[in-house]
Amino acid sequence: MLSAIGKSIAALALACAIIAAVVLALGASPVGVFAALWEGAFGSWYAAADTIVKATPLIFTGLAVSVAFSGSLWNIGADGQLIAGAIAAGAIGPYLGGWPRPAAIILTLCAGAIGGAIWGGICGWLRARRDTNEVISTIMMNFVAAQVLSWVVHGPLIEASGAYPQSMAIAPSARMYMPLEPTRLNPAIVLAIVLAAGCYLLLFHSRAGFELRAMGRNRRAAAFYAIPIARLTIAALALSGALAGIGGAVQVSAITHRLYEKFSPGWGFEAIAVALVARLNPFGIIAAAIFFGALDNGSQAMQRTQGVSPVLVQVIQGLVIMILLAFDTPAWTRIRGGLFARSRDSAPPIEPGAQADA
Amino acid sequence: MLSARNISMRFGRTLALDRVDFEAAPGQIHALVGENGAGKTTLMNIIAGRLRPDLGGVWLDGAALRRGSAARALRAGIAAVNQSPMLFERFTWEENLALGGFGIAGFDLAAVAARSRALADKLGFTLPAAGGTIEQRSIAERVRLEVLRALSFDPRVLILDEPTGVLAPAELAPFLELLSRLRAEGRVIVLITHKLAEAVAVADRITVLRQGRVVAHTTAAETSESALARLMIGEIDIPRSPSAPAAHAGETALSVEDLALDRDRARVLDSVRFDVRAGEIAGVAGVDGNGQAELVEVIAGARRARRGRVSASSATAIAVIPENRDLDGLILDMPIWENLLLAPALRDRFAPHGWLRRRAALELCRTLLARFRIRAAGPEAPAAALSGGNRQRLEVARAIAAEPRVIVAHNICRGLDLAGAADVHRALVEFAATGGAVLLISSDLDELFALCGRIFVMSRGRVRETEPADREPARLGMLMAGNWQ
Repeated sequence: MLSAIGKSIAALALACAIIAAVVLALGASPVGVFAALWEGAFGSWYAAADTIVKATPLIFTGLAVSVAFSGSLWNIGADGQLIAGAIAAGAIGPYLGGWPRPAAIILTLCAGAIGGAIWGGICGWLRARRDTNEVISTIMMNFVAAQVLSWVVHGPLIEASGAYPQSMAIAPSARMYMPLEPTRLNPAIVLAIVLAAGCYLLLFHSRAGFELRAMGRNRRAAAFYAIPIARLTIAALALSGALAGIGGAVQVSAITHRLYEKFSPGWGFEAIAVALVARLNPFGIIAAAIFFGALDNGSQAMQRTQGVSPVLVQVIQGLVIMILLAFDTPAWTRIRGGLFARSRDSAPPIEPGAQADA
Repeated sequence: MLSARNISMRFGRTLALDRVDFEAAPGQIHALVGENGAGKTTLMNIIAGRLRPDLGGVWLDGAALRRGSAARALRAGIAAVNQSPMLFERFTWEENLALGGFGIAGFDLAAVAARSRALADKLGFTLPAAGGTIEQRSIAERVRLEVLRALSFDPRVLILDEPTGVLAPAELAPFLELLSRLRAEGRVIVLITHKLAEAVAVADRITVLRQGRVVAHTTAAETSESALARLMIGEIDIPRSPSAPAAHAGETALSVEDLALDRDRARVLDSVRFDVRAGEIAGVAGVDGNGQAELVEVIAGARRARRGRVSASSATAIAVIPENRDLDGLILDMPIWENLLLAPALRDRFAPHGWLRRRAALELCRTLLARFRIRAAGPEAPAAALSGGNRQRLEVARAIAAEPRVIVAHNICRGLDLAGAADVHRALVEFAATGGAVLLISSDLDELFALCGRIFVMSRGRVRETEPADREPARLGMLMAGNWQ
């Protein structure tokens, strides 16, 4: 059996082969394109740091998606939850000037977590108590969050001069440490990794995580065996929202220092792809997010040196996702099983193992 | 002539079928017998095109069928009835049958319903009233619908996987008669069963499978039940089911007070009250679909009753084994050891502070696999890799391991072979002998007579206790039909 990691790498290799063919057909050099992508993403310390900075919000939103999806709660609203978290962080940040820096940063991130948790929790409550399909409610809450953001940067939170639709800058004490200037690499990536480990422990080593996964796979059996479905639904979507909200707060604290319209380029949506590529595994999400961040970062260099449109990067992303999903089907497993069986001349003796009755 | 030649099929590390040859002629009933996990269902799925064998192929009247194409097999005239009904849960029965042979021209649900009723009358089945989704149907009703759907294709080959296990006694005779009629029409009938008496009584030819190999082709005239049993199990003696434990009335372990439940404006549970005492096995007899499934759901806490209550010494004192093991009892794509944790008491034990004690749970799982003779690759194997009988054993193992005060078991031996049923019965008797209380809800009267001290009858949502004088099949049959005079 190919391991999950092996499958991901195989899918990536197949995607690269197809991309190479496309690049050749365009008359460019595949080697040049891949070299430029690599150069742009990891070619220097600065480039590598920027790749990680670009990956960081995707890790938070990817974890958010994977926690919800593990319970078959289809949270398409990580983007709105990230924005809700950013709004909360951007609202409290300017008033933290009197606080010591660690406390101010932690307060900012906590505000983001609470903002996201409320945004996700509302959808959880609607699902648990009113049986509202969470796909629809989370999508709709994305629009609500975007409009609230637009309103606050034009109204209540607009900067003192009022010249631009953007919020006041957060206090210097609420800004993330930048230990490696001039790169923007900052401790948020450490927080992301710690939270990934936390999600892994929660999902695979805790009772609540087991109950969530059980609910996700068989709701009827979960009801039969006293799994608190309503409570778990609310808690999982609130936690999912909190993770996305921390991602938004980190972006405010470390990178933008203020709010403006179109704050998120779609981190919450790209997160769904990240989570699927990672098969919902929290550690896989770190790798997948860095991969997506690297493609994003490398695309500029590719355009500059090879004259290939950065849109090609989106083609690579799409191909990797489709190939991975295709590898994941029972058909793939059957092909492997068939090859294995036919590679023997005579059938081996029966082992005292499971007999499937499909 | 249906023939399957040299079929081999492997699932992961397990060889489910090993170079199996199988032939069945028109105008004959061909029984395929074997223990749980012998490969009967796998062979049926290959013949019906639902699985693609690793080796070998299927021929119908000399023409090779495309391997692994269910649509081609159906078009060629092979229809199969599944052991666990495969119906669309969210559709009504009319809609489900419309996807069978009756619905192909147009999509006139009224016409489908009319033709279905005509066919059902011929078979002696009763169909439920219109409307309501399959989710609300009992398992017996579902199997009947599956049989109807298969016959609606007017198939040349009809394969039935353990169809009789869920039929009420009154339905059995007409059903076997139906098989004879279908045989007289020149169809090929393949009957998968582990009920040897049935095989000997109705089949013309019998094929015995053991651990994926054909161990005998024989005819009903040449063989006997005991000879078949030896072939099926090998040289091991068939364990006898233990007899009923001496009823020593302990304290009340489970008490059900005045339960009422309505659904679709029909009374499903009607003032149900009874109690079960420590040390006894109390039985509930009844034709499936008279409120048993709902009673189990209410006791498990999966459904809220309109009125009344269920009380036990604590929330984890009750272990429930539901009848629909694939849908309600197990999470098939989780590993076996995680399925153990579905029992709330085991979750409490293996996650005392919210964190799973994985190693201890795996250890218990290994012990249970050995003790209950569950054939599995190991605790990490997914529950989906277990055969039907082994899934049932896993659920019993889980219930006993949870150390409850009460086990509520619904049709626990359906689909189990002789050895499996005896193992399960012994486990329940031991449990009662050590002071546990068992509520055994079953449509198998022999099982209830063998094991139960007190027997209740459930009919149209009402539960009533029977007198010792009622303990004979004819009398209980009357009570099950709701005739209390």
